[in-house]
Order: sequence, then structure tokens, then C-alpha cells
Amino acid sequence: MQLDSWQAKIKWIVISLLLGFIVLNYWSYNPETTNHFPSCPFKLITGYKCAGCGSQRAIHHLLHLNIGRSFKSNPLLIISLPYILMGIYLDLKKNPSPKILQFRKSLYGTTAIFLILTIIIGFWIIRNICDL
Amino acid sequence: MENQPMNQRPPKTWLVESILVTLFCCLPFGIAGIVNAAKVESRFYAKDVEGAQRASSEAGKWTKIGFFIGIAGIAIYFILMILGVAAGFLAS
Repeated sequence: MQLDSWQAKIKWIVISLLLGFIVLNYWSYNPETTNHFPSCPFKLITGYKCAGCGSQRAIHHLLHLNIGRSFKSNPLLIISLPYILMGIYLDLKKNPSPKILQFRKSLYGTTAIFLILTIIIGFWIIRNICDL
Repeated sequence: MENQPMNQRPPKTWLVESILVTLFCCLPFGIAGIVNAAKVESRFYAKDVEGAQRASSEAGKWTKIGFFIGIAGIAIYFILMILGVAAGFLAS
């Protein structure tokens, strides 16, 4: 019991240190002008962008509160951010009321998930045609 | 005992994690996770709780595979870069 709580503590310390390091890294360096950021293997091999390309630049600009440039780097990331935050909240909420469950079912249910898949794959294709 | 799934949350769908994996690490595994998230939802609300649980662990599996491949890729990238820098120093 005692050991478990220690392990949990150490785990959280390591995770937050790592997260802090990552945030600091993305805040201080621009992935466009420095080359110590990993690049997309899909783009490297095929020359086409994937749906996630530009996410690192988007995060850099987002950390500088530059929503416009962040949107230009990866519009999908910015659009999905509120949805992701809402999803995390709904996952963590303890004893959700029937109203919240209904809300969750309509926004995060089967239909919604297939819509998300369509959006991701559609975005993936369109961004390579229209150079988004 | 009658299960009443309507008053409960479905098993963990890993949807949010799958979307993040799709956007940041590797798209194919993220998409496998999202498809399984849809299965969790549809089975749960069709009162197939056991099937939903299976889809949930499947979704978790793909999401974690994607996550760790992403992490491994970044780690390998860093190691190669450090080796490159070291080689540069030795050559100069």
C-alpha cells in the first residue's frame, strides 16, 4: 500500500517533469527554423502531408498565443482542441448525471466518432489537394 | 441481474487518446483506436456490455501501440541526432 502510493507519486513527478520539458522545448524553439524536432515519416517517404503534419508548429504558435498562425499550421488541431478538452472532462467526471451521459452519448457516441473519422480522412485528402 | 447501461458510462473508449495519437504520432494506429472507440459505443448502447469491454481493450491496445511507437521514434531520432553532433565534433 505504502509502496504503491510512492510509485504513483514518482510516476506523476516523472510525467510532469517530462511534460514541462516538452512544453518548454516547444515554447522556446520554432520547429520551422530549428531541426531538432522529429519530422513526419509519412511525409518523408511519400512527400504527402498526413492529417497530423504541422502539429508541432501549431503547438509552438499556440504556446505563444498566436492562434492565427497555429491555425495555418494545422487547422484540425485547433478545431479539435475544445472537443478534446471536453472529452477529457467527460471521461474524468465522477458520477455523471443522466443529462451529462445523454450529452456525452450525442457528442461522443458512435455517429459522432464516425463523423470524426470522416473529418480526419477528408482533411487528410483535401489538405494535399488544396495545400492547407 | 438486469444491467442498465443507460444510466452508466460506457467502458473507456480511448477516443480522446486516439485522436491525440492520430495528430501527433502515427495516424494508422490512431485511426484503429478511433474505429474501436466507435465499436465500444455502439455495442454498449446495444446492451452488449461484454463486447463493449472487448472493444475497449482493443482500442486501448492500438492507442498504446501508436503512443509507444511515437515515443520510440522520437527517442531514436534524439539518439541519432546526439550521435551526429558527437561525430561532427570528432571530425572537426
